[in-house]
Amino acid sequence: MDRLRRERHVLGAGRARPEEEVAPGPTWVAPCRKPGSGGRAMQRDLGSLPLAPALRARLVGAGFSTAQELLEVGPCELSKEIGISNEEALETLQVIRQECDSDAARMGGDPTSLRTCTALELLEQEQAQGFVVTFCSVLDDILGGGVQLTKITEICGAPGVGKTQLCMQLAVDVQIPECFGGLAGEAVYIDTEGSFMVERVADIATACVQHCQLIAEAHQEEDHHKALETFSLESILSHIYYFRCHDYTELLAQIYLLPDFLSEHSKVRLVAVDGIAFPFRHDFEDLSLRTRLLNGLAQQLISIANDHKLAVILTNQMTTRIGQSQSTLVPALGESWGHAATIRLILHWDNNQRLATLYKSPSQKESTVPYCITPHGFRDVQPPPPSQTPEGSEMNPRKRPRIEEDKQ
Amino acid sequence: MATTMLLLPPGGWLHSSRHSTAAAVGGFGGRGCHHHHGPPALRSEGACLHGVQPPVSCALPPWARGRAMVMLQAGLCPGLTAEMIQLLKASGIRTVVDLISSDLEEVAQKCSLSYKALVAVRRVLLAQFSAFPINGVHLYEELKSSMAILSTGNKSLDTLLDSGLYTGEVMELMGAPGSGKTQVCLSIAASVSHSLKQNVLFIDSTGGFTASRLLQLVQFRTEEEEEQVEALQRIQVAHVFDIYKMLAALQELRHCMSQQVVCSGGPVKLLVVDSVSAVVCPLFGGRQSEGLALMMQLARELKTLAREFGLATVVTNHVTRDSSSGHLKPALGRSWSFVPSTRVLLERSQGALGKASTQCIASLTKSPRQPTGIKVELDIGGYGALEERPVFMSAVVFSSKTNPIELVYYVGVLL
Repeated sequence: MDRLRRERHVLGAGRARPEEEVAPGPTWVAPCRKPGSGGRAMQRDLGSLPLAPALRARLVGAGFSTAQELLEVGPCELSKEIGISNEEALETLQVIRQECDSDAARMGGDPTSLRTCTALELLEQEQAQGFVVTFCSVLDDILGGGVQLTKITEICGAPGVGKTQLCMQLAVDVQIPECFGGLAGEAVYIDTEGSFMVERVADIATACVQHCQLIAEAHQEEDHHKALETFSLESILSHIYYFRCHDYTELLAQIYLLPDFLSEHSKVRLVAVDGIAFPFRHDFEDLSLRTRLLNGLAQQLISIANDHKLAVILTNQMTTRIGQSQSTLVPALGESWGHAATIRLILHWDNNQRLATLYKSPSQKESTVPYCITPHGFRDVQPPPPSQTPEGSEMNPRKRPRIEEDKQ
Repeated sequence: MATTMLLLPPGGWLHSSRHSTAAAVGGFGGRGCHHHHGPPALRSEGACLHGVQPPVSCALPPWARGRAMVMLQAGLCPGLTAEMIQLLKASGIRTVVDLISSDLEEVAQKCSLSYKALVAVRRVLLAQFSAFPINGVHLYEELKSSMAILSTGNKSLDTLLDSGLYTGEVMELMGAPGSGKTQVCLSIAASVSHSLKQNVLFIDSTGGFTASRLLQLVQFRTEEEEEQVEALQRIQVAHVFDIYKMLAALQELRHCMSQQVVCSGGPVKLLVVDSVSAVVCPLFGGRQSEGLALMMQLARELKTLAREFGLATVVTNHVTRDSSSGHLKPALGRSWSFVPSTRVLLERSQGALGKASTQCIASLTKSPRQPTGIKVELDIGGYGALEERPVFMSAVVFSSKTNPIELVYYVGVLL
């Protein structure tokens, strides 16, 4: 920098010398704010502040370029300069002041707004938070323990392969009490296809309660019995919040209103959107609008998942991509939607066996496992039982290791 | 009103013209010098591109320095009085650029001001606000003393990138979903944090950052827990999910770096943004102009951060399918393609029996130094993911007179 300054002296005739201090006029006095802390925040460019585009264009045309300049001008002068009403000018200034204040607070050391944390802290958080089990142990294994919190998991599959079953199973499993290895949370279920059957959820819930009762009997611990008192069919059903959306506008509105709902119900740990593809696949002429809406939706969902520490499940349909010589089944909603979900699970058939493939995950390898759907819900494939186990024939012997894990 | 052509040098502000050593005119100064010129024609499109930025040493108050298109105010330069400003405003001249680009004779007549006074004012303003040329040799010396090459930890990727990530430049990784972009980003972050012991800022906008995977990668590189803990502590993670928050995060980084605030141990040397298209794509589609303006704002922030503070920047991008030819092309369009100086496309390779393997093929599609079309194979599925135990590490000391912080830089495996 020094060298550059020296060069300017050499080159410049008629260039302003740095020693020449220009007396600042009265208009330059910075507005009375906390000295020093607001300085940096004021230089925010207008382009980076959340203003309406038409308003921003007018401000830029009038010559304003930073937040500082705008805040010096009062609302009356502002409305005269750019030709908007007094109320609009006042609103604009309030928005900008709020942004600058939050910036200043953040730079003053208040960490709540931006939340930069080190990888070590994140690791501790991740290790402390649990998973939502699916009751199919091989599926839990390939997922790394179950459906992860703070991430979006997308379940794609052909019709009838079990996507809605899995969603319903997860809505019940998220409520398992902590002593049995669950999260003791509530669930939000947003249905766009109308495939939610309460009777089926009741069956799944009853089977889940029975399973926990068997575990409690086997271990005879105090808190197990106490937890079981509150864990019953009625409580499970009452903690699933069900929303029915009929078209994409309702879906978008529901998702945008979800943060308010979640701040009232802070125990929600799962948000399941059953059928994100359905409202967007028919009746959409403008494909670029569809991409924009879907991307905005994905960002809103991941932001909700991150802020409220919950898992988001989406189900997607499959479509056929016709290649040169063959056609393949790929998830619907296009190429750009593939980037929206953090974890992608594809359910498909192989003869008569249902298979689940983990297609995309940031921490697990790609693998395929079989599963099956019983009257009690989503389960492992049961090997033919060699002999009658004392727990009853529906208890899968492979599920026994989970009981040891639950005790941790 | 005839607009006179200014001293603005040719060449867009988005490509790194410093690579042309014959850039005697309007070269970008080294670090710490704000020289970004937007072509004046774009101002009328309503895009938020700004004109010239004044050098730091001019006699402007601190808050007005570094800002372009400053409004005309009394005392901005000697001879510019308040009445003059009122008269100029009445005839529509509000900013410095307006005054400089207008025909002074006309203005003198319209506003009944003295022509000589206006010429004097214009000369002073030009001196204050315009850039000055820098010699190619000085540019080269400056580069040698301030630029570093960060090894990515993987020999083949380093070969692709001409020995690693260059500070001051933006490198883009693009690929289809599931092709391994996040894995490569995590691996580079782990390598820089552990082997090179530099601070990393990871801006995550997709939710793909998994600390346990990062731990696996670090554990593969070292067995000792202390080193693992240190390596993890050097990586800062910010979760931002929309464009305004991302701009705020970059602003905060700039604030941190310019004040040389110790953000847990030292200045950030590597900035990873995963992914840029996730926050920018929701802006496109309906009204193009707003999305484009915000994207360009982001582009400018990234490039100026990289250039001013000597950061190596890695961003990830999506790919879309070209409707006519069926080939994959990067998302975000032509305007974004000027931002990164190096572009690498990642594709999953089909293993045996048609099952996708953990190998992926990285091909170079844009580079200022290497011929494009080079492909290498990377293994991203393993526990090490891109790790090869460094065979030979050399520490090369670059002397730097200006900034005592960058004294020692590591150049990875010399090729």
